[in-house]
Amino acid sequence: MRVPGLGRLFRWRHVRPLLQAPLLIVSVVMILHGLFGPTLAPKNLATTLSWIHFRGVLVLVLLCAGNFFCLACPFMLVRQAARRIFKPRFDWPRPLRNKWLSVALFVLILFTYELFDLWSSPWWTAWLILAYFITVLVVDGFFKHASFCKFVCPIGQFNFVASTLSPFEVKVRDQEVCTKCHTLDCIRGRREPVSDLVTIRGCELALFQPRKVGNMDCTFCMDCVHACPHDNVGILSRLPGTELLTDPIRSGIGYFSRRKDLAALVIVFTFGALLNAFGMVSPVYAVERWLGAMLDMRHEAPVLGVIFTFFLIVEPVLLLGLAAWFTRAWAGNQRGLLPLMVRYTYSLVPMGFGMWLAHYGFHFLTGLYTVIPVTQSALASLGWPVLGEPRWSLTGLPAHVVLVVEIGFLALGLAGSLAVSYSLAEEDAPRKPMPAFIPWATVSLILWAASMWLMFQPMEMRATMMSG
Amino acid sequence: MFDRRVRPQGTRNMASTFRQSGRSVRPLSKERQRFLLLACAATLFFTACSRPADSSRNITVEHEVSPEPARTGPAVITVRLADPAAGVITGARATLEADMSDPGMAPVFAEAREIKPGRYQAHLRFEMAGDWVILLHVTLPGGQKLERQFDVRDVRPN
Repeated sequence: MRVPGLGRLFRWRHVRPLLQAPLLIVSVVMILHGLFGPTLAPKNLATTLSWIHFRGVLVLVLLCAGNFFCLACPFMLVRQAARRIFKPRFDWPRPLRNKWLSVALFVLILFTYELFDLWSSPWWTAWLILAYFITVLVVDGFFKHASFCKFVCPIGQFNFVASTLSPFEVKVRDQEVCTKCHTLDCIRGRREPVSDLVTIRGCELALFQPRKVGNMDCTFCMDCVHACPHDNVGILSRLPGTELLTDPIRSGIGYFSRRKDLAALVIVFTFGALLNAFGMVSPVYAVERWLGAMLDMRHEAPVLGVIFTFFLIVEPVLLLGLAAWFTRAWAGNQRGLLPLMVRYTYSLVPMGFGMWLAHYGFHFLTGLYTVIPVTQSALASLGWPVLGEPRWSLTGLPAHVVLVVEIGFLALGLAGSLAVSYSLAEEDAPRKPMPAFIPWATVSLILWAASMWLMFQPMEMRATMMSG
Repeated sequence: MFDRRVRPQGTRNMASTFRQSGRSVRPLSKERQRFLLLACAATLFFTACSRPADSSRNITVEHEVSPEPARTGPAVITVRLADPAAGVITGARATLEADMSDPGMAPVFAEAREIKPGRYQAHLRFEMAGDWVILLHVTLPGGQKLERQFDVRDVRPN
């Protein structure tokens, strides 16, 4: 926030709509092109921008900066406009004030992505974006605050988990200033003195800045930055992943180690990264055929269901359960198996993020320039060829160059996971951390080896998985 | 055979039936008349703007992919163009465009050569395993353009 120009921009009250508006325009273009444009995915802006560019830019921005996508989220611009007409009246139901619903939606998105081959269907992709807009309007039309962001949005949950490894965080500059503050505008909102009307919103995600730790649940909406009368909240740099190294009580979240729903989210984030990549390499089709024949199933959905159950439930429970059992046995840790599993699950975040980076980074970098001919073609089909004839030869970086980058991301992920698990083991057993560290380091190594194996598999993209 | 007994009644007969049943036929209001007129005009306008019947629809296009089943690497696509009325089509210009089913990949283009009367052959390369879509662009000897699309599914890795 002290960077000349940039700091002033982020302190400006209307920075969010300014960043959201271009993304809203792009979203509308994607929906229209997806519904009415070419049916071939490589020639359509909906599929090209969603599955190549948006995902790639998202993970790279999370790695290099922070949760800036949530800041520029176009869905929230529409919500904000709708809230001028419809004021939400209800509080989000208490039993749903956790991550279970969003975990289920995250799994559902991964599942439908494979089942309906969303990457190959502009029409389905356009409807997915539209469905997102409609869901935002319905949820935040009825429920107060940022219920959709905190409890529903699967993209948001992905961003929250990944941004624990980002180098920037929205936090207070000087705790002393907060100690003397009595108005608490960062959470209550800045109010008019007489009417008590909120003029600048406080945090809608219930994160009280002085007690906020890290990026979990933070959408970088800048509300607290703008509301603070002392200019004491900003986007500050930090060592990536530091919030995973310890387990303090966090405002709006509580203790990580007591949040089974958050641990489940991390499991889906980490194992889902491998599963999502597994869905696009040749061996998955052999597994599907074998499973289909063994279980006598001809439809893809139940076979996919078996694969998802194995990768997102059976495998994590086995791996993490065994690691927790060994931690208890070797380190003499008195905690139960489940609390131990929950506590150390967060050490897998870097490995999972490394895999998402490697996967999405691959598509983004190898298809970097494909947006150019697709845009040229879209404009030409409208009878407005201002960008010239489509140059279909434009693709991206060579795959062998990108492979090195992928290996780098995976190595970073492994190093991060080892560092986090060692730090947690050190907190549990300061004198002899190794017995607690080794089981979790082994889990990270297994995941890293599986990720490396996946990276070297031949890619195979089919519109239907069980064909052939 | 057309059965006269179930032939629908003419308007005149229908009107008399209404009269017989004690209901009078009311003339259409001016607004409705205008609306009908507008609807007719719109229908005429849009049908007038639509393309004439495409004679190229009658042209049959058959294709073969070699090797079969297709594998990654070089492949040969042979296309046979025929007109049911005039037999095989010779002297056409055919180009092929192969696209993967997923975005982020560049299409592969190839010019087809006429190897026998009405048979056109193109050499291209499937870079990745999976499903491919082939777009065939043909310019017929008379200058008429024709486009066809066919799938090459399940290209296996080598």
